[in-house]
Amino acid sequence: MLIIGERINATSKRVAEAIGNRNAQFLQELARQQVSAGANYLDVNAGRGPGSEQEAEDIKWVIDMVRAATDVPLSIDSSDPQAIKAALAHYRGNAAIINSVNAEDGKLKALLPLALEHQAYLIALAMDDSGIPKDVDGRLRACDRILEQASACGIPLESIFIDPLVLPLSVDTDQGMVTLRTLAEIKARYPQARTTLGLSNASYGLPLRGVINRALLMMAMQLGVDSVILDPLDERLMALVKAAQVVLGRDPFCKGYLKEYRKGRIKE
Amino acid sequence: MTDDIIEQIKQNVIQGRMDKEDEGFDGGMVGQPGVKELVQQALDMGTDPRRMVTEGLTEAMSIVGERFEAKDYFIPDMLASAETVGEAMDILAPHLAKSGMATKGKVIMATVKGDLHDIGKNIVSIILKGAGYEVNDMGADVTPERIVAIVTEEKPDFIGLSALLTTTMMAMKETIESLAEAGLRDKVKVIIGGAPTSAEFAAEIGADGYGADAFQAVRVVEELKQRS
Repeated sequence: MLIIGERINATSKRVAEAIGNRNAQFLQELARQQVSAGANYLDVNAGRGPGSEQEAEDIKWVIDMVRAATDVPLSIDSSDPQAIKAALAHYRGNAAIINSVNAEDGKLKALLPLALEHQAYLIALAMDDSGIPKDVDGRLRACDRILEQASACGIPLESIFIDPLVLPLSVDTDQGMVTLRTLAEIKARYPQARTTLGLSNASYGLPLRGVINRALLMMAMQLGVDSVILDPLDERLMALVKAAQVVLGRDPFCKGYLKEYRKGRIKE
Repeated sequence: MTDDIIEQIKQNVIQGRMDKEDEGFDGGMVGQPGVKELVQQALDMGTDPRRMVTEGLTEAMSIVGERFEAKDYFIPDMLASAETVGEAMDILAPHLAKSGMATKGKVIMATVKGDLHDIGKNIVSIILKGAGYEVNDMGADVTPERIVAIVTEEKPDFIGLSALLTTTMMAMKETIESLAEAGLRDKVKVIIGGAPTSAEFAAEIGADGYGADAFQAVRVVEELKQRS
């Protein structure tokens, strides 16, 4: 399972400040820490608010700084297709992930050709023009639409990570099962496609959010989620990921788990 | 006796206990009447429905708000309490109409153009209703034109605008400008909220108020109401 490190995100005040002040050291340290904690990918989001052109400039700078510090490929995270376009042209590396497209027409038209041109992976959110459907069928309809259009464009299913999405459980406790059932159904319908999950929305509005995030991740891992966007610096979460790989029979001779244990990184 | 049952309604709203099935915060309350049963009982006893609202429901929600701000209560606690208030208001509505109690004011709620995030806005709507306001929720991705149209038509006292994205918060400014162009800016108070917004941002775009959470939103609305 791929771990996508979520920490370099301008919705965090400190990261936004570091981008604004061009504090490379801060970002590079955050990049190195996440990779050393086990991130296979780093998500980069530079959306601070002052508009499309500024975001494009910012994300190019962030990409340069992070790539100078680490070797892992990047997940380019923006709600603005223009910023993604500028970032991809600037990136020139392999295996970038575009984070993200959804079933909105404008998004599909702007981002599918970019994914094809740059041979990038694509995170596809199970939502459409009217937001995140509250039920499984609505989310699957959004996925169907994205995958149809991607295939029509010549993008292979293997290049797409579908995120079934999770809404805050504090607001609606049915939403955990909606996410898990959507995930299971995507795995059944599109076995070649990959899946991913952003965890942290699940725990919004609840105390000790990490506990909820961990519970959700364990259940998504059982269903075979292929990647997850999380905070690799959360040691408890990362230890549980290793433990779950053992329980699910995906860590022969428990090598991955024991390696982490010997590094002193498995915390009770 | 009346005071007693109003106090019970209040305590049960605070615990978000809808009916007698609910075990309550400390357990062991199964079988005791919840808000639904208590409101009906109170009506049967001839209790003034207006007192049930002001001394029972509204006071309870203001305590829920205090607890939420002190981080003793979380979003689900607050939603459970608000749900009992909604149920109580449904039972009381015909009786309140008879006794001529007006709402405290009319609020239009909307997530602005280009933004689909509606959870925060929905919570604010629920809490405003719980505080005795009439709320018309227009949903998400609401254009300035639609807001101008509804203000013209419904003449609300307040508009609550929500945005979650740094890329959509400027649509709040656009909405306020559209109201000004339509000559409606002084007819309605505009309050804003949402993760990327702040009191400074509210002042910058010419909004009348900012609420960091649902209870602050209610407080801002009450303050603006007193000033006008």
